[in-house]
Amino acid sequence: MRPSLTPRGLLLAGLAFALPVVLIVVPLAIFVVYSFFSVDHGTMVYTPTLANYGRFFTDPVFIPVLVTTCILCVSVAVICVVVGYPVAYFLASLRGRWRYTLLLLMLVPLLMSYVIKIYAIRSILGQNGFLNAALMTLGIIDKPSSLFVFNLNAVLLALTLLLIPFAILPIFLSLERIPGNLLQASYDLGATGTQTFLRVTLPLSLPGVASAASFVFVLAIGDFLTPQMVGGTSSFTFSRIIYSQFGAAFNWPFGAALSIVLAIVVILAILVGERFGQQEAAR
Amino acid sequence: MTASLRPASLFLALVTALVGIVLYCPLLVPILSSFFTVTHGQADWSSPTFAAYVALAQNDDILSALRATMIVGFSTVVLSVSIGTLLALYHNGRGAGAALLQFLVFLPFLMPPIITGLALLIFFREVEFPRSLVTVVIGHTVFVLAIVYRTVLTRLRSLSKTLVEASLDLGASRWQTFWRVILPNIAGAMAGGAVLAFALSFDETMITILVTGTTSTLPVRLWAMMRLGFSPDINALVALVLMFTILLCILAARLLMPAKDRAAH
Repeated sequence: MRPSLTPRGLLLAGLAFALPVVLIVVPLAIFVVYSFFSVDHGTMVYTPTLANYGRFFTDPVFIPVLVTTCILCVSVAVICVVVGYPVAYFLASLRGRWRYTLLLLMLVPLLMSYVIKIYAIRSILGQNGFLNAALMTLGIIDKPSSLFVFNLNAVLLALTLLLIPFAILPIFLSLERIPGNLLQASYDLGATGTQTFLRVTLPLSLPGVASAASFVFVLAIGDFLTPQMVGGTSSFTFSRIIYSQFGAAFNWPFGAALSIVLAIVVILAILVGERFGQQEAAR
Repeated sequence: MTASLRPASLFLALVTALVGIVLYCPLLVPILSSFFTVTHGQADWSSPTFAAYVALAQNDDILSALRATMIVGFSTVVLSVSIGTLLALYHNGRGAGAALLQFLVFLPFLMPPIITGLALLIFFREVEFPRSLVTVVIGHTVFVLAIVYRTVLTRLRSLSKTLVEASLDLGASRWQTFWRVILPNIAGAMAGGAVLAFALSFDETMITILVTGTTSTLPVRLWAMMRLGFSPDINALVALVLMFTILLCILAARLLMPAKDRAAH
């Protein structure tokens, strides 16, 4: 099983790498190359050009949309972490089988159909939806509110709802790894519960928080279905613009260039998450 | 973690309960709507009905999408489990080559699906491979390979080296060792990986939308219908799909939980 430099070993290595290279590396490479081509009246022009990237930087539309999208996804990440942290903390404080049963319960919605969840969220948030109906029944509002109908607020809420489990898991794992005797030591030295939390638990769980935030951010920024479905016609996110380049706008090379920009943002987010996580863990 | 934080623990429990309710709300809405007639957000609780389920059995459009999803799912499982297991066996996850291999396998899983999907779309177009369910299967396999590979690799690493050495010392050939020692030990992980792969493939929407041809899978079909709103039979289907997914989750959890933990439950 150990690979070696014999002809047989090289053959095996070739076979092992063949598939990932053909189906993963080659498509991604073509994708990058495509971003340097252009389209003229619906036909592809295979002459290398930087025009697509030039358009991204000079057109007044794309950078603001990217910034808005980043702010949106950072907000989603922050809300998910703020909501997910107490849940993870509570789960980690439980003992025995309850701990993992409840954790599993929190994670099950992840495996449920994405499209169906978006649809359900839309029917909850909509003008005639359950949320408005409930608020009206409770007498909080007297006519249906359109605050969460087909706008960025709706996208923010929907993404948060979809992605919370992704925040709970990493935070739970980092909390679970904190040795109990550290907390015991803190109490023995006279720290109160709040002090122990702020000085011991919280700093030690920050790597989990960092990876939770970067997970959620990456998933939120790559999602083009949710904004399309609950965002209405006006709230454009970056992924949605990319998607439209391959549909209505039919400009694949430009779409590829925008995707490369998205990939760079995603890679930065992953690196930041990882860096921050490791730094804290090393202390 | 501590008993001295009683009010705080109560608060945390409350938050957890609320989050749980909020997470399950979107799942409950279609299930309830499948049994009751809903008009303008107000459900008619007085008369539960199975009409939606009857209508579903006659909706050929949806049933053929379901069939396509099943075909794609099983093909994806067969491909990803065999390739993922072979890759894990080949390198056992150590050394620079293994790190590179792992990085490559994980790329499509880490990148946003829109990028993986678009890269494959352009690739298929450039090599003039017509888009069909075959391209969907390839897309899904590329996407779920990382999960199967990782699951099998984790089990392989936890497999004690002495077991393999003992088998070889006792005169078993490499093949015998593989069939009698390694395979039985990783079978559970392979099965768990297969269930996860199926669950992911069953639900995959973003890559599928980009690489599919004329026949679409269930999530893509649902996606197309969603713009117009769902008829009651779709709610029935949704309820069935959710139950099926819950079964898959339980199955995956059982298969992936190590035997000693299982005994404790």
